[in-house]
Amino acid sequence: MNVHYFPIRHHGPGSAASLVRALDQLKPALVLIEGPADASDLLPALADPGMVPPVALLCYPPGRPAAARFWPFAEFSPEYQAALWAAQHKAEARFIDLPSAVRPPDDEGPDEVNPDEGTEAGGTEAEGGEGDLVGGIGQGGPEAGGPNRPGGTDQGEKTLADDPIGQLAAAAGHDDPESWWCDLVEQNPEPGPVFGAVSEAMTELRTGQEIEPWEAKREAQMRRQIAQAGRDATGPIAVVCGAWHVPGLQASVTASADRQLLAGLARTKTTATWAPWSHARLAFISGYGAGVAAPGWNLHLWRTWGQTNSSTVWLTRIARLLRDRGHEVSTASLIEAERLASSLAALRGRPRAGFEELRDAAVACLFNGEDLLWRTIQDELLLGPEIGQVPEGSAAAPLIEDVQMAQRAARLKPEALERELAVDLRTDSGRRRSQLLHRLGVLGIAWGELTSQGGSRGTFRENWLLCWRPEFSVTLVERVVYGSDLIGAAGAYLAEQMHQTESLSDLAALVGLAVAAELPQGWATGLRLLEEKAALTSDASLLLGAVAPLAETVRYGQARQVDSEPLRQLAERILVEAALGLRHAARGLDDSAAQELVRRLRSAGRGLELLQGSPPAGPDDEAQTDAAAGPDRLEVSQSEAGADGEAQTDEAAGPDRLEVSQSEAGPDDTQSVWLRALRQLLGDDQAAALAAGCAGHLLYAAGQLAPDDAVALIERHLSPGTPVAWAARFMEGFFTGGAARLIYDQALRQAVDQWVRQLANDDFLTNLPLLRRVFSDLDTTERKRLIDAVFRQSGARDLPGLVAAPPGAWDEHLRVLLPLLLGRGDD
Amino acid sequence: MTDVIRQTAEQAYAAELEALQAGDTGARPAGWRLTPKAVVTYLLGGKASDGTVISPKYTGSRRLVETAVATLATDRALLLMGVPGTAKSWVSEHLAAAISGDSTLLIQCTAGTDETQIRYGWNYAQLLAHGPSEAALVETPLMRAMRRGALCRMEEFSRLGSDVQDTLITVLSEKIMPIPELSTALAAVRGFNVIATANNRDKGVNELSSALKRRFNVVVLPLPGSMEEEVSIVARRVNEMAAGLDLPLPRSVEDQIRAVLTVFRELRSGSTEDGKVTLKAPSSTLSTAEAIGTVIGGLSQATWFAGGRLGADELAASMVGAIVKDPVQDKLVLEEYLETVLKKRRHSAAYYAALSDAL
Repeated sequence: MNVHYFPIRHHGPGSAASLVRALDQLKPALVLIEGPADASDLLPALADPGMVPPVALLCYPPGRPAAARFWPFAEFSPEYQAALWAAQHKAEARFIDLPSAVRPPDDEGPDEVNPDEGTEAGGTEAEGGEGDLVGGIGQGGPEAGGPNRPGGTDQGEKTLADDPIGQLAAAAGHDDPESWWCDLVEQNPEPGPVFGAVSEAMTELRTGQEIEPWEAKREAQMRRQIAQAGRDATGPIAVVCGAWHVPGLQASVTASADRQLLAGLARTKTTATWAPWSHARLAFISGYGAGVAAPGWNLHLWRTWGQTNSSTVWLTRIARLLRDRGHEVSTASLIEAERLASSLAALRGRPRAGFEELRDAAVACLFNGEDLLWRTIQDELLLGPEIGQVPEGSAAAPLIEDVQMAQRAARLKPEALERELAVDLRTDSGRRRSQLLHRLGVLGIAWGELTSQGGSRGTFRENWLLCWRPEFSVTLVERVVYGSDLIGAAGAYLAEQMHQTESLSDLAALVGLAVAAELPQGWATGLRLLEEKAALTSDASLLLGAVAPLAETVRYGQARQVDSEPLRQLAERILVEAALGLRHAARGLDDSAAQELVRRLRSAGRGLELLQGSPPAGPDDEAQTDAAAGPDRLEVSQSEAGADGEAQTDEAAGPDRLEVSQSEAGPDDTQSVWLRALRQLLGDDQAAALAAGCAGHLLYAAGQLAPDDAVALIERHLSPGTPVAWAARFMEGFFTGGAARLIYDQALRQAVDQWVRQLANDDFLTNLPLLRRVFSDLDTTERKRLIDAVFRQSGARDLPGLVAAPPGAWDEHLRVLLPLLLGRGDD
Repeated sequence: MTDVIRQTAEQAYAAELEALQAGDTGARPAGWRLTPKAVVTYLLGGKASDGTVISPKYTGSRRLVETAVATLATDRALLLMGVPGTAKSWVSEHLAAAISGDSTLLIQCTAGTDETQIRYGWNYAQLLAHGPSEAALVETPLMRAMRRGALCRMEEFSRLGSDVQDTLITVLSEKIMPIPELSTALAAVRGFNVIATANNRDKGVNELSSALKRRFNVVVLPLPGSMEEEVSIVARRVNEMAAGLDLPLPRSVEDQIRAVLTVFRELRSGSTEDGKVTLKAPSSTLSTAEAIGTVIGGLSQATWFAGGRLGADELAASMVGAIVKDPVQDKLVLEEYLETVLKKRRHSAAYYAALSDAL
């Protein structure tokens, strides 16, 4: 039997180059490749002109795309080059490993992901280029992190089988097995009879080693396939497989022993298909066990194979990336970097500059020694944005199948006509439907459009407008890159979007989306990014803006049965940070900036209430929503406010005393910091008047300001000594959204009344628009009641006060004020 | 010899250098006393071929030292950057000692250093008596290094005025020093090179011009990586300094060092030690050297005013001084750190209270 063995390293460009050369010499009639035997039919498709690597062979049990396993192929993968060679030279190609239906004992699909698997396989591959080509989808996308992140660098307790190349490298006196293998095979321009040497070395290494049962089964299968090929083929046979297996395949084992080993293996059918893949998912940081450290570097090695200017090309790419980001990189520095790299290689005793040397040299010569700069380009450089393509029509996309199953489970049919759908999240079916629609929305498939959340308080209802468009299927095929099932793909896609988001509030919204779509992966990423971004934002106003959306997500999360505790803590932390910076944020603002700050202050205040689980219960809010319920309810809440505010009896006594009493009174940390900040803002003469007024409003609404104190406060700020412009804005800040309070609180009303009355004519006219704004919230009934309060109803008590004012001024004011208050316009 | 306060590196480690040189037969760049590999061994420690133990001079990353040595082996100049306390000068001294056998060709750069201290000066008595001549020339360490083919060290390079810095451009790119007064130029002998050191987070220094920057390869020396490493460095320095200042060391000093360093390291790195919380970093450098200064300050306070008891109260004032350099931004950063991190740690209650007070 004329069988030739080619021990390769998965995704090794050097192996690929040597392999192609060797195949050209051998001209085999049959090429056998390590891969699932039942998918051999798909091999010729790799040579299709429409097939652009990276692509992956996906195999999954029919109806369970989430349990897919993948065999990725990049341009520089020896397996891909072998299949390509076979197709171009009219040789037959076959996969010879166990059929895809047979799963390793520790892999039952994503339902029971074994946390060790990724780590173990990753470590193996990272060190030595050995192990399985296959990956499990359940091992997570680029963001998975956690237990599946391979322990790349630790070489401490590796057994021989885990890391054969590492052992060889150590024997050759190299610390870093990766670079040893690179020098010997991947980057060696003249490798010589390297395949024979590697086989021999592996045989030596495997002498006396126990082979794991699973590996033994795989090798038995491959031996049988090779024997079968020997019977079929008329010419030489090439076997392309991971280096570690070669001695096992060459071992003489009787056919009956192999048959016995393979007895009882599952023989179910699986669905197999090609799917577009990305370089990012070839990297082992993506959780792919057989991944490589830097796919971008491997691709570069493959494309510049045999060229003498390989390192120049690489350094030029680095320079390009830096220049794209606006850094100055001179050609002279590139020359220096290359010289430094070769002198480093000489110092380290390597035949030519490798990845490490080029990186160190680039950092020293091009980046001014800053590792940070390197980190800004490393993703693009090492992972690369490349995404593969598969020939049109060839893909039975698993993602589509998964979506169809989810549609059946949710009993929602894709229909091209618009239709409305109301979803109740408290029921299982409702949740399932909402989940499906949200997840598709995350992937950019707007099947359902959320028309309303069913009112501001109804977190249990969603109203959707459904409309399925045919192009959604195309989008689904494209999104397979992110995962073969809906939850995985949506999670990875959302995580990617989060990474690209700049603004804090946008990110908060995406986190909300992750909760709505119940995507744990997006949720975890979002939380981490949000935490980082919030910590590095020093603009209190921006921070405040993120509090309310987060608080809503927390509440939403409760409806979704998501553990929202981490998010709640984060929202509170953001609020604390914002509170600490509030003093500076409120100074030196122009009118529009102050308006914006006030808007955010109020939303953050509402957010805090949501966080504490108490429904919004400020006196003015009540008055606004239930004006008809009127005085009774209001009195209740005000007397509560009074009781709470007892601790701070003397607002005007100055900030020092207040802080002391507050730190005793506040059981809740976040709230106490928040209230302290508001109080400081209120007492800050340099703060924008609008913001100070708003702080007073929030304190009053939170029951932290006793009615008497509030009156004293208003009197002080609206007293004749205060500049009119300042006073007017303070009043606007205090009463905007709370003007109804003036109807019920006689003392407050009097204070405002007095101020308006003593305004000079010009001042009054100047500030008229502002006064209008304050009272614009009141509806007709309320305006009427306010006027009643000022004139008629309370006339007996209040009229003397009115009369006591200078008659001339009063008439003048009345003439202007009356139409205004009655809503007839002021012109 | 024992009378000198401090021996140079080549004197103090003469035995190691000799042992390395004896067994070092490989090819070496012109003018070098050791091969680049042996230089790396000398800095990072190991064994000479005759079995002599070489003590490690630098405990940081091998990669960085290799890059530094490889840079000097090309004809590019080396710029070592780092915050105070990252052993820049120490590394530069030992590199010069190992490569040229002479670490004394040193120019200490200050804002007052002018061109004549970099290039050459004149002996005015000679100049007036006999006119311009070689004899009237006063050589600088840089010129001597060029003549001998040795390494010249320039400390705190970025403190030099920009115009003075730029005098180096000709020397670094053409390897000559023109002396127009004598219509001649001094050509550097092979083996000549420059090692400059600079603080990369110092304020009020002169950025290198991009023309000059291109002539340097930059190696940034990082702060100590692990907490333990940094604690041991600070503890050792505090011990030495306390002995010199006659300050008695209380037992708890190591715990306090740990507490101070935790705060410094977390603020400096912008995240808590467990990596869970991201923080804003203050504008201050919070280097190891500053941590040493802070502890010594606290120690002095404890000795003279607190009956020898060293705790959060004694350290807080100097800590705030070290952290808050910008009265608005840094204060906010520290407040935020206190409220969001320290307050939640039960064992840090004393520091939370003391630092809040001191703010």
